[in-house]
Amino acid sequence: MEGKPLKASAKSSSHHGSGRSSLQDIRNMWTTATLSQPKLNVQLPTVREDSELEDVSVSGKTLWSYDQKAGHDAEGGWEASDGGEDKDSFKPEEPEELELGGDSSQGSRLEEDDSKTDNEKPSSVSSLNISRHTPHRAYWVEQQSRLPLPLTELMENEALEILTEALRSYQSEIGRDHSLTKQLQRYIEGLKRRRNRRLQVLAV
Amino acid sequence: MVARVFGLKGSIMKLKQGSFLWYLYLDKLYCLLSVRNVKALVEYFHLLDVHHKKTLNGQYFHVLFYHFLHHVTDLTRNQITVVFNMLDWNTVGEIGFDQFYMLVCILLAQENHLEEQFIFRHSRPVFELLDLDGELKIGPDHLHMYNFLFNIKKQQLRDLYYNFDITGDRLLNYKEFKLFTIFSMDKYQESQKAEKEKKKEKAVLKKKLSQVNESQRESLLGIQPFESISNYNC
Repeated sequence: MEGKPLKASAKSSSHHGSGRSSLQDIRNMWTTATLSQPKLNVQLPTVREDSELEDVSVSGKTLWSYDQKAGHDAEGGWEASDGGEDKDSFKPEEPEELELGGDSSQGSRLEEDDSKTDNEKPSSVSSLNISRHTPHRAYWVEQQSRLPLPLTELMENEALEILTEALRSYQSEIGRDHSLTKQLQRYIEGLKRRRNRRLQVLAV
Repeated sequence: MVARVFGLKGSIMKLKQGSFLWYLYLDKLYCLLSVRNVKALVEYFHLLDVHHKKTLNGQYFHVLFYHFLHHVTDLTRNQITVVFNMLDWNTVGEIGFDQFYMLVCILLAQENHLEEQFIFRHSRPVFELLDLDGELKIGPDHLHMYNFLFNIKKQQLRDLYYNFDITGDRLLNYKEFKLFTIFSMDKYQESQKAEKEKKKEKAVLKKKLSQVNESQRESLLGIQPFESISNYNC
């Protein structure tokens, strides 16, 4: 069954005190499921989305794709493959490492038994099955080696704000026509497009 | 005086509530981020690495780095410059992920009042950060300059140089600095213990008070409720 619902960041922020007494709320931002999920045999359409954040000439493109493979293990689902550099940084964590923050001092281990999923689907999937599983896409994204969606959103929104301010500085310091300024501008636009696309997918 | 000139004196740094860093937290024992937190931080760093150099550039007034810190903390421009110069230990004018990680740990340690613990656990890297000149010794100016990050109080600073400057050269080498961190850690743990005991006593007192109030209320009422019904029936 589905894990605990993801809580909006707005809720967590209200609990935050100076003494950090509400760590439990912070943890709610994160998934409560382990990464050791049962094998996913659920068929999902293959989608490739090239990152538009980077110039064609720049190396290290990030290709976001998700493939569904029969007998896929818990790492499957969403994959971020780039020029090869960052792949290692996205290795799935061991279940023990999902204990957030400190071990003895923080205490509670957040785990979730979510083993009873429907993973007996044939490889050729009807559109009906796809639509039935589409709402779970966000959930499965999180169950893999990706970050929780609320956190990803928070990061991207904040990065956008920072970079927008930086763009103003670039424009005033080195001019609008400078290559770095243009690169930053394109990057920001790409980030916005990616964010909008993700919001559309979630809204479906 | 140096700190005052650079506008570095003043309140301790605060993280912006609701910012991404605000949601991260250090392990209280080792003062490091968990693997999951690091993973999130890597993603965040990559988002900010606009020019794909795996660094936040320092050119053009370290724009990206400045705007990042300006957005998530209440540090002034001068303080941000000081932090940048501290972290740019290779003097390449850029901040890589290692330095970024170090900075985030320092910010979180301060935000969570774990400065003593952090300096104790990571005395060597902290010492190297403070040793701007690379002379393997730090003077009081260095420590005071970074007061807004490490929250070393004036009195502590005085004690530090009075008690731990064993060589008497008014500078601290690493061993002297390490002794200081052990000493402050002991003091910190004692104060934590004392605080805990105080809280316990308060809780016990509260409980006793509530029990006393309960019994007083009962005695004022005179009889128990079930007795009143039986009396009525009679």
